[in-house]
Amino acid sequence: MKRTRSNPASNGSSASTARSAKKAKNGNGNGHLASRFYGIPLCGVKPDELSGSLIVVEGTDGSGRSTQIALLTEWLESEGFAVQTMGLRRSYLVGEDIDALLAENAVTRLTLALMYSTDFFDQLERRIIPALRSGLIVLADRYIFTLIARAAVRGIGRDYLHGIYETALRPDLTFWLNVRPEIAFDREFKKSQTISYWESGRDMSLSNDLFQSFIRYQSLIKREFEYLSKKHGFIELDGEAGVSDVNRDLRKRIASHLGIRGTHYKPSHALANLWR
Amino acid sequence: MATITSDLLAAPTAASAAEPEKSPVARREYPGALVVVEGIDGSGKSTQLYLLKRWLEIGGYRIHFTEWNSSPLVKSATRRGKQRRLLTPTTFSLLHAADFADRCERQILPLLHGGYLVLADRYIYTAFARDAARECSPHWLRNLYSFAPIPDITFYFRAPLDVAVNRIVAGRPKLKYYEAGMDMGLSLDRAESFRIFQERILNNYDQMIETDNFVLMDGTMRVNKLQKHMRELVAERVDLARFAPKSKRK
Repeated sequence: MKRTRSNPASNGSSASTARSAKKAKNGNGNGHLASRFYGIPLCGVKPDELSGSLIVVEGTDGSGRSTQIALLTEWLESEGFAVQTMGLRRSYLVGEDIDALLAENAVTRLTLALMYSTDFFDQLERRIIPALRSGLIVLADRYIFTLIARAAVRGIGRDYLHGIYETALRPDLTFWLNVRPEIAFDREFKKSQTISYWESGRDMSLSNDLFQSFIRYQSLIKREFEYLSKKHGFIELDGEAGVSDVNRDLRKRIASHLGIRGTHYKPSHALANLWR
Repeated sequence: MATITSDLLAAPTAASAAEPEKSPVARREYPGALVVVEGIDGSGKSTQLYLLKRWLEIGGYRIHFTEWNSSPLVKSATRRGKQRRLLTPTTFSLLHAADFADRCERQILPLLHGGYLVLADRYIYTAFARDAARECSPHWLRNLYSFAPIPDITFYFRAPLDVAVNRIVAGRPKLKYYEAGMDMGLSLDRAESFRIFQERILNNYDQMIETDNFVLMDGTMRVNKLQKHMRELVAERVDLARFAPKSKRK
């Protein structure tokens, strides 16, 4: 298990969230406000009301994201924390519309990027913020970083994308499950016996060979993530390590953030098949 | 020649340099022209643009007319959001931006590159005025729409609030929820809410007269007089010969 990078700065700010919430009530709300949002706060949201924690797991398809989120949910619930999840295309407002757009392969990149941002903000405003107000732990199966990376490799300006998402909540912890494209390919192929149009970036005409296209596209995404990781202080984990090893690392980090003492966990019978 | 001044469609970064020849460049020039009308509901802008369009059509010019909120791609989402009242100022704004992006990428930009005179009934300034009235940050909105080409002329039709509001209320039996700005909680009375909302929008438009080079048009003038004025201004500022049928070109 190798942990290639962690950012002490982001750790520090997230650990201090609970403390600064107290400060904010004493009228010193600006520092806290700045730590909760990237830029201007979303309208109608008072940062100091958000007592829950937002934990993001990023990584390409085949990085083991969904497996880890299922396991973390069970662990947190067994520790007595209520969990809410979010992910891409899960909003009531436009989730299905995006599915339809993707199926057609006719949508242009900017429209798609903006539909994804609508999907994101609908979930953020109507599900995530209420959950954080109620003190829940939100586990995000991908976040704005995937959306920014996908749009950026298609030539949409990074400044433009950061401008759109500057009203998004800054996560308390962002994990990046990093896997090589070749490994992601093996895992995805094993899972579904095929490679999806969008995950191989076929709209970008990178190669007529599906394997080449997938590798080139995922390499571009990975480079974008390396840039984002530095900028936003991701906690990078080796997604090629075994499920239980990655999970132990995630639990350690989350436990220290939430003040959970023990990190012992063994999946229930229902999830035992994930524990490789 | 008009240019896109935004850096949205920037040159590819090192990470996205896979296909440089396919990526757009920062400043694009095109042979077309873009004429836009803006103003609050009831200001007379659509009537005037229709008359301008008829004049150019009858003359055989290469034109295309486009209006706000007409893309089928996001129609079902917009309808769902409005019916169930799920839209927040942010998602309302983003959904309209997605809709506009679709029209921009698939209609307006190709037409401008193809040498058309494009007439737009409402443009990005509608979003700036309306979404800022819903308290979206103006700075955020400017960034959101920075991909849009800057119009050659933006006509701003201005009518006093009472005149405009009465024109709408008289012609419409029931104002729609979002149209009346009911989501803002301005007033429980729909007509009153509509009035307050339109007043905010009007103030936001007024602030853009200077910053966005609006051509101010008096919406209370007689229709045919105003149209004559509009046609003169278009002929003055747009090289119409470029869009004329071959028989009229010298």
